[in-house]
Amino acid sequence: MEEGFTPKIVGFLCNWCSYAGADLAGAAKLEIPSSLSVIRVMCSGRVDPVLVATALLHGADGVLIAGCHPGDCHYREGNYYARRRFALLKKTLETLGLDSDRLMLAWVSASEGQRFGEVTNEFAEQIKEMGPNPMKKKSAL
Amino acid sequence: MAKKIGVYVCECGANIAEKVDIDKVIAAVSPLKDVEVTERHKLLCSEGGKEFLKQSIEEHGLTHVVVAACSPKQHELTFMNVCGQAGLNPQLFQLANIREQCAWVTPDGEEATDKAIRQIRAAISRVLYHAPLEKKEVEVSPDVLVIGGGIAGIKASQLLAAPDRKVYLVEKTSSLGGKVKNFSKLFTNMESGLDLIAQELQSLVENENIEVLTDSEVEQILGFLGNFEVKVVKKVEDKELNFNVGAVILATGFELFDPKGLPQYGYGKLDNIYTSLEFEEMNIPDGPTGGKILLKNGKPPESVAIIHCVGRKEKDYCSKVCCLYSLKFDRMLKSQLPAVKVSHLYSDLCIPGKSFQKFYEDTRKMEIEFVRSSRTEVTGNGKGTTIKYETETGSKGDLAADMVILIPAMESSSDAQKFAEMLNIPQDERGFLAEEHQLLGPVASAVEGVFVIGCAQGPQSISESIVQAEAAAGKILSALVPGRKLELEVRTSEISENFCLGCKICIDVCPYGAITFDEMRRISVVNEVLCHGCGSCAAACPSGAAKLRHSTFPQIYQELKEVLR
Amino acid sequence: MNGGGEMNDKGQNTPVLVIGAGIAGIEASLLLANSGRKVYLVEKTSYTGGNVIKFEEVFPNMDCATCMIAPKQQELLANENIELLTLSEVEAVQGSVGDFSVKVRKKASYVDSENCIGCDACFDPCPVEVDNEFEERLSKRKAIYIPCAGALPNVPAIDTENCLRFKGQECQACQEACIFEAIDYTQQDEELELKVGAIIVATGFKSFDPSKITRYGYKKLDNVYSAMEVERICASNGPTQGQILTKSGEPPKSVAIIHCVGREEKGYCSSVCCMASLKLSHFFKHKLPEVKITQFYSELCIPGKAYQKFYEEVRESGVDFIRATVTEVSQSGKELAIKYKTEDGKENTLNADMVILNPALEPGADSSKLAETLGIPQSEDGFFSEKAPDLTPVATAQEGIFIAGCAQGPKDVAETVAEAEAAAGRILALSR
Repeated sequence: MEEGFTPKIVGFLCNWCSYAGADLAGAAKLEIPSSLSVIRVMCSGRVDPVLVATALLHGADGVLIAGCHPGDCHYREGNYYARRRFALLKKTLETLGLDSDRLMLAWVSASEGQRFGEVTNEFAEQIKEMGPNPMKKKSAL
Repeated sequence: MAKKIGVYVCECGANIAEKVDIDKVIAAVSPLKDVEVTERHKLLCSEGGKEFLKQSIEEHGLTHVVVAACSPKQHELTFMNVCGQAGLNPQLFQLANIREQCAWVTPDGEEATDKAIRQIRAAISRVLYHAPLEKKEVEVSPDVLVIGGGIAGIKASQLLAAPDRKVYLVEKTSSLGGKVKNFSKLFTNMESGLDLIAQELQSLVENENIEVLTDSEVEQILGFLGNFEVKVVKKVEDKELNFNVGAVILATGFELFDPKGLPQYGYGKLDNIYTSLEFEEMNIPDGPTGGKILLKNGKPPESVAIIHCVGRKEKDYCSKVCCLYSLKFDRMLKSQLPAVKVSHLYSDLCIPGKSFQKFYEDTRKMEIEFVRSSRTEVTGNGKGTTIKYETETGSKGDLAADMVILIPAMESSSDAQKFAEMLNIPQDERGFLAEEHQLLGPVASAVEGVFVIGCAQGPQSISESIVQAEAAAGKILSALVPGRKLELEVRTSEISENFCLGCKICIDVCPYGAITFDEMRRISVVNEVLCHGCGSCAAACPSGAAKLRHSTFPQIYQELKEVLR
Repeated sequence: MNGGGEMNDKGQNTPVLVIGAGIAGIEASLLLANSGRKVYLVEKTSYTGGNVIKFEEVFPNMDCATCMIAPKQQELLANENIELLTLSEVEAVQGSVGDFSVKVRKKASYVDSENCIGCDACFDPCPVEVDNEFEERLSKRKAIYIPCAGALPNVPAIDTENCLRFKGQECQACQEACIFEAIDYTQQDEELELKVGAIIVATGFKSFDPSKITRYGYKKLDNVYSAMEVERICASNGPTQGQILTKSGEPPKSVAIIHCVGREEKGYCSSVCCMASLKLSHFFKHKLPEVKITQFYSELCIPGKAYQKFYEEVRESGVDFIRATVTEVSQSGKELAIKYKTEDGKENTLNADMVILNPALEPGADSSKLAETLGIPQSEDGFFSEKAPDLTPVATAQEGIFIAGCAQGPKDVAETVAEAEAAAGRILALSR
């Protein structure tokens, strides 16, 4: 773990469940890592692997994708595609020499403010332990 | 045209102001490129705040607006409306969440302020990439096609038909009334199904807004909500009918599971074993026996066994209405043959609802035997049949019965598959037409504008079928108003003709079947009537041809760029 | 109620009154509003969503109830054709289809919904704590309150029965804490006169009170719960944040679920309890994989194409099913002893840490008063009666007045939504 390292974590949150869950965490005044920057998408199925790769290449130390629990997707099956892409992405990141634990997929429902707090804090801790994204120094973007 | 972004930071009273250093925020964002004005306000969502915002937009001639305040789920619409009122396209707006996901969750004021600045910068960068999307409308037909002339189809047609809304009721046989026309009695009022249908048909025939097409089959349906092109063939005349409708209702009804496949019931081998529908037929006043309950030898039975759940294990569901109509059979039997001995072989008594227990209890007073059996077998015994049964505790027993009525599972009619394919509606594992959402969309289907009602979508009673028919009518009456255009979702997907490879991956992933393949141009095309704006296609597209409006890659990239700075 | 009017055109394009903002009321309101009709949605509590939002999951697919309903609630609140009147009750109705005059009493919330931003700052300073009815009295709320986190509309109300100020004492704690000047003690109850063309009654259900049957030990013994209480215990926004604990603070090792509580007394099968029991079993097994669950039932009621598979899954997960009548629940050391009699007459006892009673569904409170106000008949059991039972489930004997959902009889969400849509459909078709 590097001293004085403040991770940068990007969270892609789906509008219907996880973003609402994050708002609920706010209403409950839970502590959410300030290192997390949220980007709202309509569905976790919108999260293109290229977006994730771009985030990592631009120096994101961790990327979180959050969506509705399987079966609850507002658009029926978007989160199933997110799940599949995530699985493949993990593998791809490994082959690129990147620790695939920098990518996380979580299901957070609209009523799970507590859970959102747990997931994000745990992830931030994990990323802090892992240190900065090695790509940060390499890329010239 | 010069870009002029207005950035408005809401204090939200103390909710934001006490944690986020708004002065610092303003100092950080004012100098940014294209930012024309930066203001703070105590409460932007209040009437005063909205007025302030509107005037500021007009005064500065802004081209884009960013508000930093609460969650977009709270007030995105509110501020978009203000933009609209100020003459600015509402899509050229972005809301940065610095309350629920910043001020409220970040204890350290400095961190909260930095985070707020990040989010606002992201919003500023992003909003420049918003497109001024315009509302779209399409003309629609308010007319409706109803497939299936049973009680559900009839009721739906009646509720929908009006001088400004024509209903085409297509029935493949030569008569309307489905199964109900053959029920001499209905539970629980024990009134005649024949009479009910006769009454309904009377008003149907008089209704000039319903075109009844019996002996007809639907050959083809193309199109989508508001614009379906239908081809119907009238079999007797061998004539083809083409017309347009806005919605389609599938009411193709049910069939009974065939007990022949279960040898333990002796159906088709032993005499005097009937399915429930066959027993119903026997009771039709001008039917084969003149409405008399008779054995093959012409004599009335002295003992009847009613065997429930025939095929339940095989089909893996409970057909819901059978326990109830078996009670109806008890009453019909006792009414004609007061001395007849009636025994039920059943597993669980399924009589949900406020009035059915009383119906059951009153029926039992007529001296009906109920035997809980986990395994039932029907064997011949020379005179009639012997019903062998086994209770849940393992003890065995038997009883004699001259006549056996089997209660088979209810299945979706075989036509369902034809329409499922024609309209691209999924059938569930049990062969029924699938509703859109089991709880919230009980009569809609996965295809917008196509509804599934009655036993075509699941075993249910006449009253439930009628409710579903009225529900489908309600949904259509609400969505397709004569003379009113259909307003489309603005933030839909679009596929660039130039970049589309024709790989069709998007068509596979679209949950709404909103993408079709244009064979001529060899590209995929989004139907904006059906698109719900989820972005699955945009994420799956290998060439970047598919874009979700208002959630494009460049827009998201701008946010990414700023938060990772 | 007067019958007939001279120019009764059955009210094409007239506003519609929907009584009850549970899932049935919400669905009917949206359907009507989207067709262009104005809707007055009268709700006696301060929140929308009725009973369904109390559930963490709903059967048979274990959908997250709040995730499912929240978009509908948000659509409702944003729809300009729908005027939501919370803390309101219908007092009088006159007229006939196309032309009803309705008197609604809107109780003051003492919170200005225009100024209130839902920040909850007024709760802390309030010195009064009372049982939270929404949470089935498993936790407390203040005299100024919203029923639970995420309740919509997110505007609190003052419970004048318990608020010190309204009982004559000096207290302005909430007003002092509110920087948006949203607390207004000068608000008055309002009497509204609404002119509507049709009415839908969607007042839902409440649970039969198991304490009426003493042999179950409800409210006498610790760890005997009613199903609704357990629903709140399971809820992630509930009193225990979804943690399942007995009164001792430990998770239960064994649970007994008793069906049909009140069935004999009420005289009907409430339709949904078998499935609800399966749902709770499924949830418990998920949270506490080692827990031993036994269901005591009389008849398994799992009608329809979708439910049997779920039953089988739950069975296979190791839940026991005993067909028996429970004769007594009593304390046995730290556990509860459930004495039961099976169909063959044999008696037996099973011990469990927790007992869940699944009670009958009854019509909502005040349904008799409402039936009288509207002039529509109720059946003996208190549910509103259909005009032609078996044939017109949503129409009442009064033309223009419809019933939908559990107000009509116990049923599941799918049937409730279908009835709400049917009632809306019949209203939209009325002007023919």
